[in-house]
Amino acid sequence: MTAFVYYSRFRWMLLTALICGTWLSMTSLLFAQSVGLPAPRLLTTIPMGAKVGSQVEVTISGEHIDDADELTFSDRHITTARKLNAAGQPEPNKYVVTIAADCPVGIHEARVMTRLGISSSRAFSVGTLDEALQTKANTTLATAMELKVNSICNATMTQRAVDHYVFEGRKGQRVIVDCATRGIDSKLDAVVIIADAVGRDLVVERRGGTLDFTVPTDGKYVIKVHELTFKGGQAYYYRLAVSEQPAGTPIVRMSSTKPVNSFSWPPQGLKEQADLAESEPNNDRTKAQKISLPCDIAGSFFPAADVDVFEFEAKKGDIWWVEVASERFGLPTDPSILVQHVARTGDTEKLTDVAEFSDIPSPVKVSSNGYAYDGPPYNAGSSDILGKLEIKEDGLYRLQLADLFGGTRNDSKNVYRLVIRKASPDVAIVAWALHMELRNGDRNAVSKPLALRGGATMALEVVAIRRDGFDGDIDLAMEGLPEGVTASGLKISAGQSRGLMLVTANQNAPRAIGSGTFFGRATINGEVVTRPVRLASYAWPIPDSWGEIPSPRLFADIPVSVSGLEFAPITLTPPKEVQSVTAGEKLTIPLLHTRRSEFSGAVLQLRTMGAGFDRAPQFDVQINADQSQAVLDTAALKTPPGDYLIAFYGGAVAKYRHRPDLVVAAEEAHKKAMEELSAIDAEVKKLTEAAKAAATEAKPEADKAVEAATVKHKAATAAVTAAADRLKKATAAAAPTDIVDIVVSEPIAIRVNAPAK
Amino acid sequence: MSCSENDSRRRWLPHGLFLLLMGAFLLAALSRPVAAAEQPVSFVNDVVPVLTKAGCNVGVCHAKAGGGQKGFQLSLLGFEPQEDFEHLTKEGRNRRLFAGAPDRSLLLLKASGQMPHGGGVRLATSSEGYALLREWIRQGATMDGESVPKLVAFAVEPARGTIQRGAEQQLKALAKYSDGSVRDVTGMALYEANDKAMADVTDRGLVTISDIVGNVAVMVRYQGRVSVYSASVPLGALVENLPSSKNFVDEQVFANLKALGIPPSTVCDDATFLRRVTLDIGGRLPTEEEATAFHASQDAGKRDKVIDDLLRSPDYADFFANKWTALLKNRRDDASDTVSNFAFHAWVRDSFLANKPYDQFVREVLAATGTVIGNPPVAWYKRVKEPKEQIEDVAQLFLGVRMQCAQCHHHPFERWSQDDYYSLVAFFSQVGRKPSGTRGEDLIFHKRGIATATNIKSGVPLRPAALGDAIPEIAADADPRLKLADWMGGKTNPFFAKSLVNRYWKHFFVRGLIEPEDDIRDTNPPTNPALLEALEKQFIASGFDLKELVRVLTQSRAYQLSEVPNQHNVVDRQNYSRYYPRRLQAEVLLDAIDHLAGTQTDFANLPPGTRAVALPDNSYNASSQFLRVFGRPEAESVCECERVQSSSLAQSLHLLNAAELKAKLASPTGRAERLAKEDKPAEAKVRELYLAAFSREPRPQELKTAIDYLNEPGTAANANYQDLIWALINTKEFLFNH
Repeated sequence: MTAFVYYSRFRWMLLTALICGTWLSMTSLLFAQSVGLPAPRLLTTIPMGAKVGSQVEVTISGEHIDDADELTFSDRHITTARKLNAAGQPEPNKYVVTIAADCPVGIHEARVMTRLGISSSRAFSVGTLDEALQTKANTTLATAMELKVNSICNATMTQRAVDHYVFEGRKGQRVIVDCATRGIDSKLDAVVIIADAVGRDLVVERRGGTLDFTVPTDGKYVIKVHELTFKGGQAYYYRLAVSEQPAGTPIVRMSSTKPVNSFSWPPQGLKEQADLAESEPNNDRTKAQKISLPCDIAGSFFPAADVDVFEFEAKKGDIWWVEVASERFGLPTDPSILVQHVARTGDTEKLTDVAEFSDIPSPVKVSSNGYAYDGPPYNAGSSDILGKLEIKEDGLYRLQLADLFGGTRNDSKNVYRLVIRKASPDVAIVAWALHMELRNGDRNAVSKPLALRGGATMALEVVAIRRDGFDGDIDLAMEGLPEGVTASGLKISAGQSRGLMLVTANQNAPRAIGSGTFFGRATINGEVVTRPVRLASYAWPIPDSWGEIPSPRLFADIPVSVSGLEFAPITLTPPKEVQSVTAGEKLTIPLLHTRRSEFSGAVLQLRTMGAGFDRAPQFDVQINADQSQAVLDTAALKTPPGDYLIAFYGGAVAKYRHRPDLVVAAEEAHKKAMEELSAIDAEVKKLTEAAKAAATEAKPEADKAVEAATVKHKAATAAVTAAADRLKKATAAAAPTDIVDIVVSEPIAIRVNAPAK
Repeated sequence: MSCSENDSRRRWLPHGLFLLLMGAFLLAALSRPVAAAEQPVSFVNDVVPVLTKAGCNVGVCHAKAGGGQKGFQLSLLGFEPQEDFEHLTKEGRNRRLFAGAPDRSLLLLKASGQMPHGGGVRLATSSEGYALLREWIRQGATMDGESVPKLVAFAVEPARGTIQRGAEQQLKALAKYSDGSVRDVTGMALYEANDKAMADVTDRGLVTISDIVGNVAVMVRYQGRVSVYSASVPLGALVENLPSSKNFVDEQVFANLKALGIPPSTVCDDATFLRRVTLDIGGRLPTEEEATAFHASQDAGKRDKVIDDLLRSPDYADFFANKWTALLKNRRDDASDTVSNFAFHAWVRDSFLANKPYDQFVREVLAATGTVIGNPPVAWYKRVKEPKEQIEDVAQLFLGVRMQCAQCHHHPFERWSQDDYYSLVAFFSQVGRKPSGTRGEDLIFHKRGIATATNIKSGVPLRPAALGDAIPEIAADADPRLKLADWMGGKTNPFFAKSLVNRYWKHFFVRGLIEPEDDIRDTNPPTNPALLEALEKQFIASGFDLKELVRVLTQSRAYQLSEVPNQHNVVDRQNYSRYYPRRLQAEVLLDAIDHLAGTQTDFANLPPGTRAVALPDNSYNASSQFLRVFGRPEAESVCECERVQSSSLAQSLHLLNAAELKAKLASPTGRAERLAKEDKPAEAKVRELYLAAFSREPRPQELKTAIDYLNEPGTAANANYQDLIWALINTKEFLFNH
C-alpha cells in the first residue's frame, strides 16, 4: 500500500471522526441520557393480592421509595399500617394490609407516599379464594409446591426455570387453572402446563387463557409455570389460581386491569345486558337474522371464520351510528362490518355495497415503536368499530359482522356487542403524561406519576374519541388537588381530538396528596355534559424502548401529590394577568426564570403548546439568564380573535443532585463522630499514662479503665468509618447527573382582540 | 419468402454443399419419417427440438434469466417458440441468420464451434441438427404458418417393464401431431433416470440397468411434453418365511418384495426395536430403566405399548416440533425475533402434543390472522412475506409440489403452467398487514376484495385455482386462504395426504417412497405405488391423525425388520427389505451423548436440562459447534435436505477429541465420575453403560474387555470410565439408529 493511500485513508478517517464528533456534540444534550427526574415508583408487592376479609403482610419494592412511609390503596376498604419489629420500630418496606370483608373483589391501585410524593401504581388483586405464597424455590418436580384446589398462589418466576406445583385431583373433577400476569402489571408471558404425576405434559396454555381440565383419574397432578422465553426476576410475578368449577358453567377469570383503548366503552347510558343475542346459524344470506333498528345485540365470533349476518329495513335519509366493542373488552379480535343494500327480483338478488367499517383510528399519531420518540405509545383507537351509516334509499339492508382475526380460531370467549343507534353525540376522554419528540429511547417520562416538585408544571396529553358526530369544544378541568396545586386545561377545540392539561405546583406548596378528579366538559345538544377523563400509563418504566414493549393500561384513580422537599430545576413564570394582543400583531411575553439547578448547555429550545399557537416556531432562550421573552406573531399563526391558554415547553439537561441534604447530614454526623473519637483518643492517652504511673495496688484498676476506654475507642473508630462510608455514599449519590427534564412553563392566558375596523 | 425464391437460391448452391444438404435431409428423414425432404422446415417442430437437444436453451445457457448469454436469449427448453423466433430473427443486428449464406449465420458458426463459443461445440457441422437448422435458414427462417401441424401427444415405448440387472432397453419416443402424423423423435428427446445409481440412459434413449434391484423411472421429455418409462428390476430370489403381516403396510411391502424376489431380513430384537422406535418417535435414547423394564416384560403386545407410551409423551411433541419448525422457517435473525420464535415453536409443539389433526394444523398456518402472541402461526407470515414465496413454500411443504419453475415459464418436468402458478398465488393476494405494537411484526388479516394475481407473462389477472382444480368463486369477504385449506383437506386431494405420508414414511424408513420427498410428480413415481396409495387412504380416513399414522408405520413388521442384510437383500436400497441405518441427527446425537455421559448442554437463557431437540429455533447453532458440525439446519428452506445427514471428517474429529466432548466425559457431576465413586461391582456398571448406550446388555466378550480395561492398573478409575464411555460413543452402534 502506498503512502498516498495511507494518507488518503487517514484523511478520510479524520473527516469521518470530525463529522461524527460534530453531530454528537450537537445532539449530545438530549441523546442517550435518562429522561425525567427521579420519580417514586412502586414496582412490586408481595403478595400481589389477598382474600377479602383477611389481613396480610405485604413487602414492597420499587424505585425511589426507600423513604416511603405510607402504603395506600385506591379503595377505602383496604387499610394499611407499617409492620413493626419486636422493638416496635417500623420494618423497612413492610406493611400490614387489612382487606375489609365488604371490599369489592377486583383490581385496586396500590401506591406509596414518599418524600418525592406519591408513587406510580401497582395492581393489587382482591379475591375470594384462599391465598398462598411461594416461599422457596420450586423449580423441580421434587421441590414442587403443594397447592390446594380453590386457592391462589402468589409467586415470582425465576429466570431460566420452571415453577412446579402439585395438586390432588379427583376423577371427573373439573379444574380450572388460571394465571394472572399482564393483567396485574407483571411482565410475565405465562406458559401454564398441567402434567401427570411424573411431570409429563398433558395440556398447555400459552396465550394468557385458562386451562379447563377434567381430571382423568384420581391422583396428583403437576402444574408447571414458566415465562414464554424463560425470563424471570422480580418483575415476572404471577398469581396462579386452581379452582374447581361445576361442569358446563362459564369460566370466571381472575380480575384484570383494563387496556387503554377501553376508555371509549361503553357509550353513555348503555344497558349492562344487550337487548338481543345473535342467533346462530346466521352465517349466510339465507339464514340472516332479522333485526330492526335501533338495536343492541350480543354475540360471539364463534366458531372459526364465523360471519354473523343481520337484515333490517331502513328508510332513505336515515342516519344510523354503528358501534362494535370486542377488542376493547381486552380480546384479540378485529371486528369488521359490511353493509349492503339488497334488491330482490324474484329469486335473484342484487347487492350493492353501502358501507364498510373496520377500525376506530387513533385520534393522534401513535408511536412507530422506533428508538426515537415520535408519538404517544398509547393507542386511543381500536380495532373495534364506530361509524356512520347513511341510508340513501328505502329498502332491505344486510349487515355482516366478522372477526378479521377469527379465520381459524375456535373460541367462544371472543364475544362482541353490536349497537346501532340514532345519533347520540358524546365524547370519551383519556390522558397520559406528555413526552417530547426526542432522539432518545428512554420512555420513563410517559409513565411518571403525578408527583410534583415545587415550582414544577407537568403536562398531560389529553385525547378524545368523539361519538356520533359530536364536534364541539371540550373544556378540561381537574378538581380535588392538594394545596398549592393548580390545573389548567388547554381545551380540545371544536373538530380537534387533542388537548393538554397543565398541573402546576407552587414553589411553596406543602407536602400533600389529593385525589384528583379529571373531567371534560362540553355542550351537547344545548346541554352541558361532564365526562370523566381516564388516566393511562405504562405498567413499568421503560428506559430503553428498543428492548422492551410497553404494556400500558388505564388507572382507577388520579392521585396528585407535591413533594414539598424537592423542587423543579427551573420554573418559567409568565405574567399572571391575561396577555392581550390585536389579531395580526405580535405579542411579546416576558418569562421569569427561577433556577434551582445547574444545567448542561446554555440554550433552552422552547416550543408552544395550546390551540391557536401550537404552530408557533421553536425559539431559544438563555437558560442561565434571569428572564427571557417569547414573541408570538398572530399574523403568521393566523390566530383568530378569542381567549386562549398556552404554555411553552422544551427539554433541558439538568445537573440533578440526589438528596444533597443527606450529604450535609452525613458531613455533620461524620464531624461529630470524629470529635467523639478525638475525645476518646485523648481519654485513652490520659488513662494509659495514668496506668503507667499508678502504684502497684492501683494498677489493676487503672488497667481496667484503660481497657474500657480502648473498647470505647474501638467503637468510636468504627463509628467514624461508618460515618465516612455514609458520607461517601451520600456524596456519590449527590454528584451531579445529567438528566433530561421536560420543562413546561406555567400557563399563559392570551386574549386576541379583533382589530379595530 | 416464396417458393420460387427458394428454388432460385437453391440453383446457386455449390454442388457439393447441395449434396451434403441432401444427405443431411436424408438423415433427418430417418427421425422424421412423415416429413418429406421437400417440405418446409418447421420452426416449432424441427428447429426448437434441435436447440433443446443441443442444450442451447437450458437455464445455464441461453435460457438464463435476465438476458440469456452474451445478449442472446432463448426461452427455457423452447417453451416459448414465438419469443425464440423473435430473438433469432430480429436481434443481434441480423447477424444470427443469413439466408443467403446459411453457413455464415452466427447461430451456426457459434453452435458448431467455428467461432469462439462459451458453450463449446453443440452441433457439429456434420450433425443432422446442424443440417436442419441450416436448411431452415436457407428456406428463409420463417415462422410456422397455421397449417403446420401441432404437437398433441407424446409417449415413450415401452411405458413399463420388468428388466433384469445389467440388461439394456432401447426406448422409443413418439410424437403425435394434430394432422394425425406420428414422428419417431427418439434422437431429439431428453432422458433422465430418477435414480442414476440404478439406471444409466444415453441421449439416444438406451437404458442400461445396474445391479441394484427395485423400481426405476426414466423421464423422457420432448417439446414441453413428458412421458415416463418405469422399470421393475427384480432380484429373483426365493421369498419365503415372511414375517406375519401386522397391517396393510406389511402386506404392501412384502407383496413388493415377493414381486421383486427380495427376501426380507428377520424382525429385529427387542433392544434394537426399543432404541429405534424411541429415537424415531421421541428423539432420544431409552433410559436404562425403560430398557430394563422392556426386556423384563413378557407382554406379547409390549412393542405396541411402547409406541403408545412414546406417542403420549411430550418427547414426541418436542421431536416433531423440532422437525417442523425448521421446515416452517422459524429462524432468528434478530434478538427481536425471540418472542415470536418461542411462541411459534411452542404452538407447533403443543399442536403435536394435543394431536391436532394435520389438516387443521396446516389450516391454522395457512390462514393465520392476528398477532404472533395472540395466534403464533402468524409468525410464519413474518418469515415468509411475499405471496409467491408463500405459495412456493406451501406447495413444496404441504403438497410435495415444486412450483418455483412455473413462476417464469412452464414447469419443465411437470404440467404446471404460469397460469397454475399465479392462480395459486391469488389465494394469498388478499393477505392484509397492519403494523403491530411489536417492532418488525405485522398484524395479519384478510383484506376484503376479489382475490386475483396477474400472470406476469400474459398480463392476465387470474382468480384462485388450486393446481388444476377449479375453486368455486370466492366472495370478496371470504378469506381465499381458507378455501385453499378446504381444498387441501378434501378427501380427494391428490397431493396433500400423499405428501405427508411420504414425508413421514421417510422419517421412519429413511428413504421416501418418492424421493426427494417433496418432489411428487408424474415423472417421479413412487417405488411402491400401492403402498403409498394405501397410506394416503388410511391417513385421510383417520381424519389426518398424525399419531395414528406413526402408530401404523411403527407397528408394522416392515419397520421392525433388522438392519442386518441376508445374503440377498444387501443390494436393496429402496424396497425396505431391511432397515436402513441412519446417523443420529445433530440434536438427537448431542442429547444422546449427554444421556450417556450424564451431563447437560447449557443453552443460553434456557433452563438447565433443556434438550437439544427442544430448542425453539436455529439461533443456538451459532454457539454450538457440535450442532453445526452435525448439520442442524438454519431454517432457511422448506426442504428437509437443509439438514445435513452426510458424514464428514469434522464430525469424526469432533467425536474423537473435541474439547466439548472431553468436558462432558470429565464432568464432576457426570456418569464417569459417579461410576468411579459408586460402590458396586464393575460388571453392574458396565451393564448400566450398555443399557444406556445401546438399550441392551453387554455381550460376554464386550463385558470382559470392558472389565479388563477398567481393572488396568496405573490409571485413575474415573479416567477409565471416561475412556469407556468415549469408546462407546464412537461406535457405529451408538452413532446410528439401526
